[in-house]
Amino acid sequence: MKEFPNFKNLTYTDYGKPPETQNQNLQDLVRPHVQSFNCILHEGLAEIVKHLNPVEFSLPNNDRVSLTIEDIVLASPAVNEKAVCRTTKVYPAECRVRKTSYKGTLQATIGFTVNGEKGAPIARKIGQIPIMVKSEVCNLSKLTPKQLIKHGEEAEEMGGYFIVNGIEKVVRMLVLPRRNYPICLTRPGWKSRGHLYTDYGIMMRCVRSDHSATNMVLHYLTNGSAQLCFFNNKEMFFAPVILILKALMPVSDKYIYDELVKGKEDDSFYKGCIVGMLRETLNEDLLTMTSVLKYLGSRFRVRLGLPDWKTDIEVAEFLLKQTICVHLSNKEDKFNLLVYMTRKLFDFAKGRCAYENGDSPMFQEVLLGGHLFQMVLKDRLESYLYSAKSFIDKHAKNCKTGSDSYTLNQETLNNALYHCPDIGKSIEYLISTGNLNTRSGLGLMQQSGMTVVADKLNFMRYVSHFRCIHRGAFFAQMRTTTVRKLLPEAWGFLCPVHTPDGEPCGLMNHASAMCQFQVFTYYQKPVLNALSVAGVKPLSEPPGRIKDCYTVVLDGKIIGYVRDDKATEVEQKLRTMKVKGLHEVPPSMEICLVKKTKFASQYPGLFLFTNPARMVRPVMNLALNAVEMIGTFEQVYMNICIDQNDAYEGITTHQELDGTSMLSFAANLTPFSDFNQSPRNMYQCQMGKQTMGVPVHSLNYRSDNKLYKIQTPQTPMVRPTKYDLFDMDSYPLGTNAVVAVVSYTGYDMEDAMVINKSSFQRGFGHATVYKTECINLLDKLKSGHDSTPLVFGIKTTNEAYKTGQLDLDGLPPVGAYLDNTKPYYSFINTQNGKETIIKYKSQEPAYVEHIHLLGNDLGTRGKSKVAIMLRLNRNPVIGDKFASRHGQKGVCSMMYPVENLPFTESGMTPDIIFNPHGYPSRMTIGMMIESMAGKSAAIFGDCYDATPFQFSEDDPAVDHFGNLLVKAGYNYYGTERFYSGVDGREMEANIFMGIVYYQRLRHMVSDKFQVRTTGAVDQLTYQPVKGRKRGGGVRFGEMERDALISHGTSFALQDRLLNCSDKSLAPICTKCGSLLSVYMEKKANSAFAASSEKSQQWSCLQCKSGSHIEVISIPYVFRYLAAELAAVNIRLDLDVKG
Amino acid sequence: METPRPEGEAPAPKQQTMIYICGECHMENEVKARDPIRCRECGYRIMYKKRTKRMIVFDAR
Repeated sequence: MKEFPNFKNLTYTDYGKPPETQNQNLQDLVRPHVQSFNCILHEGLAEIVKHLNPVEFSLPNNDRVSLTIEDIVLASPAVNEKAVCRTTKVYPAECRVRKTSYKGTLQATIGFTVNGEKGAPIARKIGQIPIMVKSEVCNLSKLTPKQLIKHGEEAEEMGGYFIVNGIEKVVRMLVLPRRNYPICLTRPGWKSRGHLYTDYGIMMRCVRSDHSATNMVLHYLTNGSAQLCFFNNKEMFFAPVILILKALMPVSDKYIYDELVKGKEDDSFYKGCIVGMLRETLNEDLLTMTSVLKYLGSRFRVRLGLPDWKTDIEVAEFLLKQTICVHLSNKEDKFNLLVYMTRKLFDFAKGRCAYENGDSPMFQEVLLGGHLFQMVLKDRLESYLYSAKSFIDKHAKNCKTGSDSYTLNQETLNNALYHCPDIGKSIEYLISTGNLNTRSGLGLMQQSGMTVVADKLNFMRYVSHFRCIHRGAFFAQMRTTTVRKLLPEAWGFLCPVHTPDGEPCGLMNHASAMCQFQVFTYYQKPVLNALSVAGVKPLSEPPGRIKDCYTVVLDGKIIGYVRDDKATEVEQKLRTMKVKGLHEVPPSMEICLVKKTKFASQYPGLFLFTNPARMVRPVMNLALNAVEMIGTFEQVYMNICIDQNDAYEGITTHQELDGTSMLSFAANLTPFSDFNQSPRNMYQCQMGKQTMGVPVHSLNYRSDNKLYKIQTPQTPMVRPTKYDLFDMDSYPLGTNAVVAVVSYTGYDMEDAMVINKSSFQRGFGHATVYKTECINLLDKLKSGHDSTPLVFGIKTTNEAYKTGQLDLDGLPPVGAYLDNTKPYYSFINTQNGKETIIKYKSQEPAYVEHIHLLGNDLGTRGKSKVAIMLRLNRNPVIGDKFASRHGQKGVCSMMYPVENLPFTESGMTPDIIFNPHGYPSRMTIGMMIESMAGKSAAIFGDCYDATPFQFSEDDPAVDHFGNLLVKAGYNYYGTERFYSGVDGREMEANIFMGIVYYQRLRHMVSDKFQVRTTGAVDQLTYQPVKGRKRGGGVRFGEMERDALISHGTSFALQDRLLNCSDKSLAPICTKCGSLLSVYMEKKANSAFAASSEKSQQWSCLQCKSGSHIEVISIPYVFRYLAAELAAVNIRLDLDVKG
Repeated sequence: METPRPEGEAPAPKQQTMIYICGECHMENEVKARDPIRCRECGYRIMYKKRTKRMIVFDAR
């Protein structure tokens, strides 16, 4: 199975030809996104139809109307029906270039009943909604690499994103509480929920099969009772749990008591509490189920917005269906679950079981893009029906023959639907902004930041977007750091290395490369059968005293019991079924046997999970010798060894597939990461994502705002096995460089590095930036929306045309060189014949890479929208940033001529000089090993494996590569004798030299330098403006001022803060000290004295004379201050002397 | 720097059309100033501007 890295691409004769099939390892990384969207198509649309509540209301003529959605169909993206073209299919490449959205038509069948009589349903196209690329309705879904290339995609296109206005957007994966598991928590905030409330509670996130969720909390009160808190449309309600139990089942109080007390028969306190709670409801005179339902219905009628004709009981039934244990449809199941929760609550409150940590991945699941999309779609369809209702109401009201004569039939309904807003717009809005604006809030903690741009900076960054799991924006504001902690439960699911440092640290995690996500829903029936086969006894026939049994819970439904002594056996049987696929047990089912312990620990039971949105990962089941998918909850109760040698006989049941299975995609690409100090590996995960590499192969079919590309990419000589697994050779990220670790010129101090000028001239680190500008002439004039009189073009008489700077279409020739003296494009107003030439304004010269003329869907638009891609040369200059793969970054401080560089005995000079001081404090031994390995790899013409955890104390990496070097005639440690490039003398020290893979980071001085002598000033204050874009300065702030003061350099201070800023000469009246009362007086008879210089004179308005006016130099803002103060009635007098 | 067009060789007189390449079928399309952007052959909506035939020489530096 294990394949070592090799240079097969160098000799592979089919290299460069598209493969027959795509690399499944890469597809797996994005699979949760694509599959979750497919999930909508397979089961989601049907679920929406099933769960969408009909909108019921009465017409003015008292007809009872009910609107439903009977069917939904999502079509593949296609052009407008009216457009004439050969193929109606739209491919994603076109949307990217044309800056449109990749969307398909949503067709819904809207059914209606009037007074219970069903009318003929209406099929309507109700909007165009964004389609996920590579999902099953996407036009790319089944294409081979060759066909993908033909349609302007990458051969290994993975999809998983939406295209909205030409921008690729990914729905962020969010951490949510595990669905359908009652978790016991202590929340100090709960105490403030009411009188007697404690911080103990059982929280449960109940999720329907269409992924819509509502929360329930069972609170413990100090008087020994339990209150159920439930939510309806973000609103919180409380009810005694007994009341809800009574509403669910028509049973006697005795039955409720017996059920609640089951297994806790000898707990007299608990029994007392139950009796107390039952008595409380008796006092309210709520004896029977109907009386409770009536009571509930009358209270909630106003809140639920149901039509008037519904009885109280119907209202209450609706409430129970909508808010209580929504994952269960059967009322008995709901009853049993609430009973179970009550028992757990009292055990928890009395300290008989430990609290469960909501921050642990054990109790978490992940919100997948498709699932969110489905919830939003359901919400939109619901509001679509409501808007249909409001239009029907409106039409009835305005009916010409009187509102009573308005009846609902197919025609009138069609009329109303015609006015309903397009639901595609709002979904497009969600994807493009990431803002949810749903009625119910979808039970999520955050309403914004749901999507991110899938940045194609390089492959590592791109893929990481799809593996990112965010804890939620809410936690970013939290002061405590507990949520950010890396817990052992996260092993194998969340990467311990790949999280940013700083503000989002620990909140933004990345799934490990092996981690997968359960997406689809499994039928429960086969699992239930399997359970009875395995020996689980149903609730009705417990296998003994309940006290000596484990309760079996499947996806939040109480199934039955297993005797304590049988539990392990049952668990093993189930596991065998799961791994072998017997009895249709889902392969990703979680089987968690939480055993009873002597001391309070997690609440015991046999918990089974088959539901979607869980994280699962493969491990080897040693007993069955097969791969098993395990979940976060069950992992905690499993014994998994990493290596065969670590296994304990009789205890270890599972083994990791791979020593690196805990690492994410990005962390897997760090060579010898086990030799580095851990933060360095984190830094590399960050820096790898800022590297310039090969972003895309389909440059001609893209118009990303900015793309970075290196011109001389190489495959690393030393690399981990995962590098080949993920075909990183298609998107390389750097260059192999000969690195000497010397302190040579002094230009390598403080993380600076010297680059060999000849290496640079041979192409080391050469790169280009591609910028695309989309010019839409519709935006140039504020008039019409759909058409514009403007069209790209130029008159033949124009100089720019005559000199060939612009072509007849007003656009520069493809390949032209542009600098800030050149015209960029020109357009003509066809109404008045006016010609406008726009100059190329950027300071940085560029070449025109390509120009796309963009039409519209119907093919009616003229030359009014173009996309111009410009190519900017970005070869290394002093100040550009480079990094090795070990978190060792540095800026180029000098391009040193090769003749002055130190050389070895063989005459070799390094590409890069790296300062030895970079090692001791950072302890990146991995980089040293890489250097040695790279050196031996280069000598032997091979490529060496750098997967972490392959070496050990007994077989050290240094020894392995040292011996290889010795074999090649080098020093064991990779050091060499060097001669000074300046005078040729041999250096005293041995110099460590080897080959390290270097990345060029995207931070470049040309994007950042800021310099100013004179330039733009602020209108109001006359001070220099700020901002690099406007040619502004860098602020000389308070602290800088303090430094000058403390140094006593008053001349420098005055120069910086006055002379070079807003110095101005201002006349002031020395008598009254006012700046503002001085004005320019025009002498009478100025006509006569026009020639004399005294015709104008400063004068003071207050003193009525001009004899005390002096001109002083002050900052201009000071005058502004004086004026502002005058405006609030404060006079400012200056005591001017002299 | 781009070489300026030689003095004597004036642009072809009154050549009012430009030729673009269709993004889908790669057919060459003549598009007049006010024509819509639409391939005559396949109806595709994106056109590529052809690379200039003119020789562009940049100074080697």
